[in-house]
Amino acid sequence: MSGLVQIAVDALSLGGLYALTALGIGLIFSVMRLANFAHAELVTCAAYALFALSGQPLVMAFSGAIVMAVALAVITERIAFRPLRRADPTTLMIASFTVSMLIQKLLIFTLGSRPKSLDPVPALSQAVFIGSTQVSLLKLVTIGVCAVLLLALTLFLKRTSFGLQMRAAAENFTMAQLTGVRANAVIVVAFALSGVLAAVVALLFAAQSGFVQPRLGVPLMITAFVATVIGGMGSLVGAVIGGLLVGIVTTLLQAYLPPDLRPFREAFVFALVILALLVRPNGLFPARGLKERI
Amino acid sequence: MTALLAIDDLAVSYGRISALRGISLHVDTGEIVAIVGPNGAGKSTLLSCIAGLVRPASGMIRFRGDPIVGQALERTVRRGIALVPEGRHVFAGLTVLENLRLGATIRTDRAEVAQEIDAYMDLFPILSERRHTAAGTLSGGEQQMLVIARGMLSKPALLMLDEPSLGLAPKITDQVYELIEQVRHRGVTVLVVEQNADRALRSADRTYVLNTGAVRLAGSSAELRGRPDFEAAYFGVDLAGGQA
Repeated sequence: MSGLVQIAVDALSLGGLYALTALGIGLIFSVMRLANFAHAELVTCAAYALFALSGQPLVMAFSGAIVMAVALAVITERIAFRPLRRADPTTLMIASFTVSMLIQKLLIFTLGSRPKSLDPVPALSQAVFIGSTQVSLLKLVTIGVCAVLLLALTLFLKRTSFGLQMRAAAENFTMAQLTGVRANAVIVVAFALSGVLAAVVALLFAAQSGFVQPRLGVPLMITAFVATVIGGMGSLVGAVIGGLLVGIVTTLLQAYLPPDLRPFREAFVFALVILALLVRPNGLFPARGLKERI
Repeated sequence: MTALLAIDDLAVSYGRISALRGISLHVDTGEIVAIVGPNGAGKSTLLSCIAGLVRPASGMIRFRGDPIVGQALERTVRRGIALVPEGRHVFAGLTVLENLRLGATIRTDRAEVAQEIDAYMDLFPILSERRHTAAGTLSGGEQQMLVIARGMLSKPALLMLDEPSLGLAPKITDQVYELIEQVRHRGVTVLVVEQNADRALRSADRTYVLNTGAVRLAGSSAELRGRPDFEAAYFGVDLAGGQA
C-alpha cells in the first residue's frame, strides 16, 4: 500500500510537469501549427532567472522567472515566427529548432555549460507523511500547482471571451479571423501563456533537479512533445492527458522494470508511444479541423 | 449614389492560372445580388478576394467608397462585411451558443448581443434546443442557419454567402433563402454566390453570370430569367457552337 501511494505521487508529479510542458507546446501548436522546440529554452531561461534571483524572496524570484519566460516567448514570436506565419509547418519547425539552438549557444557562451546549483524553494525539500507513507512535500506541491494551473487555464479557455476566441482559432484560424478574432492578439497571448507555464515548470523542475544548465529544458520538452503527439497534436485536452500518461507510464516502468533494464526506461516509453500511434495515428484526441482551411 | 461595394477591373491569378479577369460589378445598399456560374467559374475566388483571403493581381475593391484590397482578414468584419464561406464552417467542437457568441466578437454591447442571440434561438428552435451541444453534430441545414445567424451577429452592412444551398435538400434550400430575404428586410445587403442559378434568380434583385473568370452577363434577375442567352452564358458556350 505504502509503495502504491509513493508510486502514485511520483507518477502524478512527473505527469503534471509533462502535462504543463505539453500544454505550453500544445497552445502554440493549436493556434499556429508551430511545434515550438524553443519552448525548452523558455524553461531553461526561466530557471536561470531563478538562479540570478536566488536569495531574493520567492515571490520576487518567481515573478522574475515569469517575466523572463513571457518576454522571451513574445520576443521570439515577434522576431522569428511572425514573419513565417504563413509558412508551412516544416519551415516553422526548423525555425523553432534554430531559435532553440541559438538561445542554447548564447547561454553557453555567456554563462558557461557547467551546471549551477539551484534550490529555489528550500522549504519544500522535506518529507511529509500520508498515513504511514513518507513522501516528498515538493512532489505534493507539484501535483497541487499543476492541478490549480490546469483548472485556471481551463476556466480561462471555457469562461472568458478571449478563451473562446483562442479555442475557435485553434479549431479553424482563418474562420476565426473572419469572425473578427484578432490573429496577432490570440497568438501573442498563446505565447505569453506558454511562457507562464514554462516559468512554473522551471520552478518545479529546478526544485526537483537542484541545478540549472543550458540544456535543462530539452529532455523535458522532448518528452512533452511526445506527449502532445500521443494526446493529438493541436488538442489541448490531448496534451494534458498525453503528459499525464507519459508521466504515469515512466514512473510505472521505473518501479516495475527489472533493475538491469531501468536505464533503458525511455526506450520502453518510446516503444509504447510507437505502439499507441500505430493504433491511433492522430493521437488519443485528434484535434478538430487540423487540416481544415478555407 | 456611391455603391456599398464596388469592384473595378479585378484580376486574380493562382501562379500562371488566371482565376478572374476584368471583373467589374457593384452592390447597392439594400440589394440582394447573386453571382451565379458553374463550378470553377471563379465565384468563390471573388468572395475570397473581397473578404481579404486572396490578394488580387490587379484591380480595385471599394467598400463604402474606401479601398479594402490587402487589408488584414479580421479587418473585413470590423468594416461591416461578414462572409459565410462554402462548406458552412461551423466551429464543430464549440457549442451552438459559443458559435453564436463568436459571431459578435467585435461587439461590446453585450446586453444587445444576448437579446439578438435569443431572437435567433426563437427563430430556429432547433438551435435553442441544442444550444449547449457541439455545433458539429447539427445537420447541414441547421449548420447553414447557424452560420448565417453567426454572420448576422457581427451586425454587418454586407453579408456574403458562398454556395448556401450546397448539399442541402430543396426544402431546406428554400428555408435558407427565406432567411436570406429576412436578412435583407433587416437592412442588410446580401451578396450570394450560387451554382443553383434558378434558386438564386428567384431571390436576387440583380444577378451576374460568371464563367471562366469573367462576367458573361449581368442584369436584373427578372430580366435574366427570360433571356435566351442566359444558359449559354452560364455554361460558357455559344449556342451557335464553340466557347462563349
